[in-house]
Amino acid sequence: MLLDTLKKFPTLWVILACFAVFPVFTSVYDLPFWNDVMMRIMLLGMAAMGLNLVLGFGGMISFGHAAFIGIGAYCAGIGQYYGLDNGWVQILLAVAVCGGLGVIIGFLALRTSGIYFIMITLAFAQMLYFFFVGLEQFGGDDGMIMDRSEFVVIDLYEPLRLYYLIFAVLTVVCIILALFIRSRFGVILQAIKSNESRVEAMGLAPLHFKITAYVISAMICGVSGVLFASWQEFVSPDIMHWTRSGELMIIIILGGLTYLAGPLLGAVAFLLLEEFLPEILHAVFPSIAENWMVVFGPILIAVVLFGQGGLMGVVSRRFAGIMKRSRT
Amino acid sequence: MTDLALELRGLTKNFGALKATDNVSLEVRRGEIHALIGPNGAGKTTLIGQIFGNLAPDSGAVFLNGVNVTNASVSERAHLGIGRSFQISNVLMDFSVLENAIIAEISHSGAQFRFFTPAFSDPKLVEGGMVILRRVGMEDMANRKVADLAHGERRLLELALALALRPSLVLLDEPMAGASPEDTIFMTDVIAGFQEQTSILLIEHDMDVVFKLAGRISVLVEGAVIASGSPVEISQNPKVREAYLGSEE
Repeated sequence: MLLDTLKKFPTLWVILACFAVFPVFTSVYDLPFWNDVMMRIMLLGMAAMGLNLVLGFGGMISFGHAAFIGIGAYCAGIGQYYGLDNGWVQILLAVAVCGGLGVIIGFLALRTSGIYFIMITLAFAQMLYFFFVGLEQFGGDDGMIMDRSEFVVIDLYEPLRLYYLIFAVLTVVCIILALFIRSRFGVILQAIKSNESRVEAMGLAPLHFKITAYVISAMICGVSGVLFASWQEFVSPDIMHWTRSGELMIIIILGGLTYLAGPLLGAVAFLLLEEFLPEILHAVFPSIAENWMVVFGPILIAVVLFGQGGLMGVVSRRFAGIMKRSRT
Repeated sequence: MTDLALELRGLTKNFGALKATDNVSLEVRRGEIHALIGPNGAGKTTLIGQIFGNLAPDSGAVFLNGVNVTNASVSERAHLGIGRSFQISNVLMDFSVLENAIIAEISHSGAQFRFFTPAFSDPKLVEGGMVILRRVGMEDMANRKVADLAHGERRLLELALALALRPSLVLLDEPMAGASPEDTIFMTDVIAGFQEQTSILLIEHDMDVVFKLAGRISVLVEGAVIASGSPVEISQNPKVREAYLGSEE
């Protein structure tokens, strides 16, 4: 039954397989820096997949999910400050705190919809951002330097251990989400996105499902945050700046928001462009290299306009075409 | 259990100075098709909202099978026994016919918060979904996308969804709106067939359909029920004739 579900998302497993063998490639060509880029891709991809449960599958445009990444990161940072070094415990703490905050914010924000929902989620995220900016004991605006968390059995100072820890957690998140979106909960969530009043008339209370989805997505972003802190060895309010929420949305839209693998593919594309585009521009038009977003913007618009379902839309149509040809 | 499927007691709803619903009392007996008619702007939509739970009345009460449901939410009322079809076709467009029925069946089964087993391939849910479709003779169309259905077929699916929770009362809000003459004849037969399973409150503009189906008729004018009775009584009632045909002076 699990295998049955997993088979439905071939692109997702292909992407994960690429992540799995990537360090082999970097060690052969001696490019350890790229492991670092890939970890960032996996971390933001994980958070974007979490957000996409709400955004793509639930149709709720939350503009404040970076706050949950930040909460997760501070669970690790502040936890360590008070002697809580165990990463697994930090993850549990982040899941609990993000879940609790998710219930409160979700309960209040989900009474609204559309533009009001966007603004309220943004407002909550800004409140949390400034809360941490004001927290002088933990560095305030400047943030706090921390050590990598201690994950029992896994010593993160072995260079590739952190990489594979992030990879393993991402894989678990992917499997959980794959199961969720095909479950009763998942199909009802997508039905609510399609037609809320019909679902309500069927005797299902939309708010309960929306809050549940919101809480789950907050938890996933929290987990990503804990690992993010270990990866950066540093936590500051910057991690939860509102532009990061925007980044997550760009990643989702670029990748394709109706697909489970969309955000992951989007994270690969977005962060690689972020790395490469300035360099390419520097070689071609040095004057605008700093403002690589000027070029990125039109690329995003082109993908949205012509991609129909983002990069995953393109991939799945290609894939469907190949399948059809091989059958005939 | 009372012999009333639905009872409205003195429902009143004002929007500012406008009396949208004016002290409406109405009874739908078990197993009857009760038609609610009235000219445009008579307040039918507002009244339906209060019966179904989208709108709270300013005063008055709604009883379903003798239970006061005035403070129950839309989804709670659905489980207490009201099914609904909407004025504008309201089905899940992004899903297949069977998937629509399966989502209704999930609600019917009561186990909604399950996170790990796939829903659409669950044999029990598929079976329950097919039962829902069979009631309106749509089992052959189970795998078609709703977006590809003809208008009449969508209306039929909506009827199936309205009946999915085995309601004791179904609210049909202009089921014939936009239907072709053939569809209308077919749907009229389907609705007549439901009478054994459930009581029906029918809101409809097509008087042929109303007089063919309804056991009793209530007439709503300017928010108030001006007459209630058998089709013959209603067609001969002078107040109704005046409201529909205008006064003769």
